[in-house]
Amino acid sequence: MLNYIWAGLIILSLVFGMVYDINDLASDTYRNGQSFELTIEPTDPETTDARRVPVDVRINPAAYQDFYGVSSTPDSVYSGVVIRNEEGLQLRFAQDVSVPEPWATIRSETSERDNDMRGVLTGWSASGGTAQVSFQEVRFVKMRAIAAAALSMAELAVELALGLIGVLALWMGLLQIAEKAGIIHSVVRVTQPFLRPLFPDIPKGHPALGMIVLNLTANMLGLGNAATPLGIKAMEELQTLNAEKETATDSMVMLLAMNTASVQLVPPVLLVALMGLQINQLIFAIIIVTGISLIVAITAAKLLSKTKRFRASAPAATTEG
Amino acid sequence: METLRSIIEIASVFVLPALIVGFPLYGLLKKVPVYEEFVEGAKGGFQVAVTIIPYLVAILFAIGMFRASGAMDFMVDGLRPLFGLIGIPPEVLPMMIMRPLTGSGSAAIVLDMINQFGEDSILVKMVATMFGSTETTFYVIAVYFGAVNVKKTRHAVPAGLLADIVAMIAAVFVVRWLFG
Repeated sequence: MLNYIWAGLIILSLVFGMVYDINDLASDTYRNGQSFELTIEPTDPETTDARRVPVDVRINPAAYQDFYGVSSTPDSVYSGVVIRNEEGLQLRFAQDVSVPEPWATIRSETSERDNDMRGVLTGWSASGGTAQVSFQEVRFVKMRAIAAAALSMAELAVELALGLIGVLALWMGLLQIAEKAGIIHSVVRVTQPFLRPLFPDIPKGHPALGMIVLNLTANMLGLGNAATPLGIKAMEELQTLNAEKETATDSMVMLLAMNTASVQLVPPVLLVALMGLQINQLIFAIIIVTGISLIVAITAAKLLSKTKRFRASAPAATTEG
Repeated sequence: METLRSIIEIASVFVLPALIVGFPLYGLLKKVPVYEEFVEGAKGGFQVAVTIIPYLVAILFAIGMFRASGAMDFMVDGLRPLFGLIGIPPEVLPMMIMRPLTGSGSAAIVLDMINQFGEDSILVKMVATMFGSTETTFYVIAVYFGAVNVKKTRHAVPAGLLADIVAMIAAVFVVRWLFG
């Protein structure tokens, strides 16, 4: 399943990226090579001879919509600067102004670092008036974007993984103490009757159950930072019961399903940050939904493990336990 | 509701310090050499993090490409009639597709929709409930299975995704029922 989804994501991104780019080429979304007429007035008559002339750029919204065949409108006035150099005149919009599509894309493609719209200016006299601007040609936006995304996400993945080291070490150290002190064993004894039915292949009194309980508790209380190391520790314990180290056992899938359902009584910190006080209204909704998804996850994991296909792929348990 | 929430919230504040202090304290009472054991256990942290890397790279770069390709716009257009049929507003579709794939991406969608519709809108309540009640399934799979080098995930993906789909559809109806 994961093989197909993974390959599917990659292939789909190529296919859709290509469709998008070909569509752009066919409809000439960016009007490559054509020039657009706008009005440019120097803001200060004193500077008209200078190398950099600060200007106001006025755009006729109807002309913009007509030229690009879009319904969005630009602001009526942008500040900018006209730069004189050997090659002629260049118009630069002020940095980070808000421009509508397709200008926004042209800007992000042609001036990634400075984030200012820039184009070659023709037919402009320094005293002000209409002029033609043409932007650098833009093609294959999505192809570039997916390549860039693949590289930057690969980097991000390593950052995320390495960022876990500290928290992982902290919790694995604490859990080692807990195990030696017999805390895990007590947790197992107390919770065993409730959890064993979900994890029938874990032997009685095995520490894996204790780790699972701690992981689920941390999840419930919204302690994402602690839940991950505890979950990993639980997986490690489950792996000791697994004879085929590359294949997930029923218990591992059950633990995973329960985690992806994310039983939460406290909403995640990120959501609280986004929603502010509004979150109070949503607590009840979140608890209901998270409960439903937990039930579905448990049922799905249980029923799927009984299907012919997944029963056949189930790894054997180790004999030593 | 309010009091229940504050009780849980206070509990969640105290759980961490209680565990971090409680484990070594109890260990000490049980005559465990706590410092030595802590260091021994903590050694595993680095190994696990490094083991996860290939799994996380595999999952995240594929999802990153998918996001960047604009595939979502196409999928939203394709699914719109189907979801309209069962009464799910099309505005929440991007969230439903994004949520299992990326945490940061779906948080960005919540933020976008807050800016677009306002915090009070029912659509924002729906996506926020979706965000709060499900997990980034593929990230969890990469990290948990990656940590123990399990490559054949068997029915984990279908079970996880099924729970996500049901949860997100439930979010629409529960929010509509509570606030609609």
